[in-house]
Amino acid sequence: MNIPKDLVAASATPIILSILHGEDSYGYAIIRKVQDISDSQIAWTDGMLYPVLHRLETAGFIDSYWKKSDNGRRRKYYHITAAGIDECELLVSQWEVVHRALHKLLQEKTGY
Amino acid sequence: MVDLESQIRQWKTHVYSTGSIGQNDLEELESHLRDSMDELAGRGLSTEEAFLLAVRRMGDIEVIHEEFSKISTEDLWRQLLVPTDNPITARRNRKELGIVIGLAILGGLLSKVPALFGFGDMDAHSQLYLRNASIFAFFPVAIYLIWKRSLPALRSLAVLSIFPASAMLVNAYPSYEPHHTGLLLSLHLPIVLLFVLLYFFGGPAIKREGQHLYATGWRNPNTRLNFVRFVGESFIYAILIGMGGMVLILLTAGTFDLIKIDAFPFITAWIAPLGFFGLFVVAAYLVLQKKNLIESIAPVLARIFTPLFLLVLISLIIAFLVTPNQAYENRNMLIWFDVILALVLALTLYSMSSKDFTSTNTSAKSQITFWDFLSFGLIISAVIVDAIALSGISMRLSAYGFSANRTAALGENLILLVNLLLLCVGYVRYFLQKQTFQEIVVMQMRFLSVYGIWATCVVVVFPLLFGFR
Repeated sequence: MNIPKDLVAASATPIILSILHGEDSYGYAIIRKVQDISDSQIAWTDGMLYPVLHRLETAGFIDSYWKKSDNGRRRKYYHITAAGIDECELLVSQWEVVHRALHKLLQEKTGY
Repeated sequence: MVDLESQIRQWKTHVYSTGSIGQNDLEELESHLRDSMDELAGRGLSTEEAFLLAVRRMGDIEVIHEEFSKISTEDLWRQLLVPTDNPITARRNRKELGIVIGLAILGGLLSKVPALFGFGDMDAHSQLYLRNASIFAFFPVAIYLIWKRSLPALRSLAVLSIFPASAMLVNAYPSYEPHHTGLLLSLHLPIVLLFVLLYFFGGPAIKREGQHLYATGWRNPNTRLNFVRFVGESFIYAILIGMGGMVLILLTAGTFDLIKIDAFPFITAWIAPLGFFGLFVVAAYLVLQKKNLIESIAPVLARIFTPLFLLVLISLIIAFLVTPNQAYENRNMLIWFDVILALVLALTLYSMSSKDFTSTNTSAKSQITFWDFLSFGLIISAVIVDAIALSGISMRLSAYGFSANRTAALGENLILLVNLLLLCVGYVRYFLQKQTFQEIVVMQMRFLSVYGIWATCVVVVFPLLFGFR
């Protein structure tokens, strides 16, 4: 199943912020995590993640810092800010509204 | 076998050539590509297959470039002031602009507070305005940073109370002729308040798991480096806007003059202070909004002025060698030495913050450039000039005894000398590849605290020590 572009774009911010809310992470790990939790249904083009991260950083929702990994590779880690946590909670609650509505419709249809 | 490294280099060149993707972004993408290749190779693909697939996964460079350029320098001003299409960020941007304008007005109004106490005439009470100027200018910036960073309210209020506390202190201290401690206080209070701003810039240092307390919040060296850049760039913005504002004021005054209305009293009483003290928060806003634009100006400025300052310092040393007595007998010469040394230190910090030491290749060691040697030369000459200044000060001290000015100069030059020597050691070790540039940065950023403590001493203790004279 292919998720349409608009839906991918709209869900990217809450997904990224929620992942970073859990722990600091870097681009590659974020992409893999998204694949994991969506059973590879949500497939972002790898490169498109970075402009989004940039935008979130400019908006003050995340910070970044460089860190060396165990194999000596330098990675740019992202860390959610207090403003980012607020934003994340707002976005997630918006998605929950949509999710609940769809879920109720489904229940009506199946006569549950 | 195909050379993988050269293929990656080609890919990087291709990505970089699109223009909107900077060095740091490029390194981030490269690190991603290598991670991706490692994973694919781990699944049994050959290195070349892994490379091709990883590049494919990365997606169309043209499209990525387009996305990057949307947030990059192009259409900068339009983006700054016209809401972006995303409704959430748009709402926040509009709100932010409102807050900034409000705070700018607050700064201007603060500067009218002395008028309420009958000190309205700026010329007659210039000492008073000088002492309070940094409070008027930085208080709105502090509030803006608290909002921007969504800092915890209680802690922020506690730290913010340094502003009213210092306002009370500087105005409660008397100042007697010849006003030396008063002037020293006016010069050092901005440094103290900059540290308060640093706190709000970086947020409180909170102990996180696996991290030292020094690695978080405002104590983090990288945060401090960013703050140095932030201050430098805000300064540039402030000058640009200030000059524009002055042209506007002159034009307005000239026009009113033509229709026989003297606008100058109104301008000096309201427009100038509102404009001047509001300037700083607006500059801070512009810098935080658009990090990318200036990031490309900072290295250019550092490169223009590093060689120029090196020439200035060398000519100072030569001037001293030709007429050594002047430096000792003429106290003005010592003052100019100090001003130049302070500028050199600022320049060193600035070029440090603009050095792209984070974007070194993962494979190669960080590259030592011609500019590193130039910075090193600058620091060495600064040490010599500082030594000359110190010898001059100690001669004056032994001849005339301790005064507020001479003690302050002695302290500052000693701290500066220690700082410069530490930098020398750092650079030498860096050239010998015994330490990374990052370690120099960490040392320098920690050392900044010494200046903060010293400035606080000069503000709080000196007037008491020298009888407010």
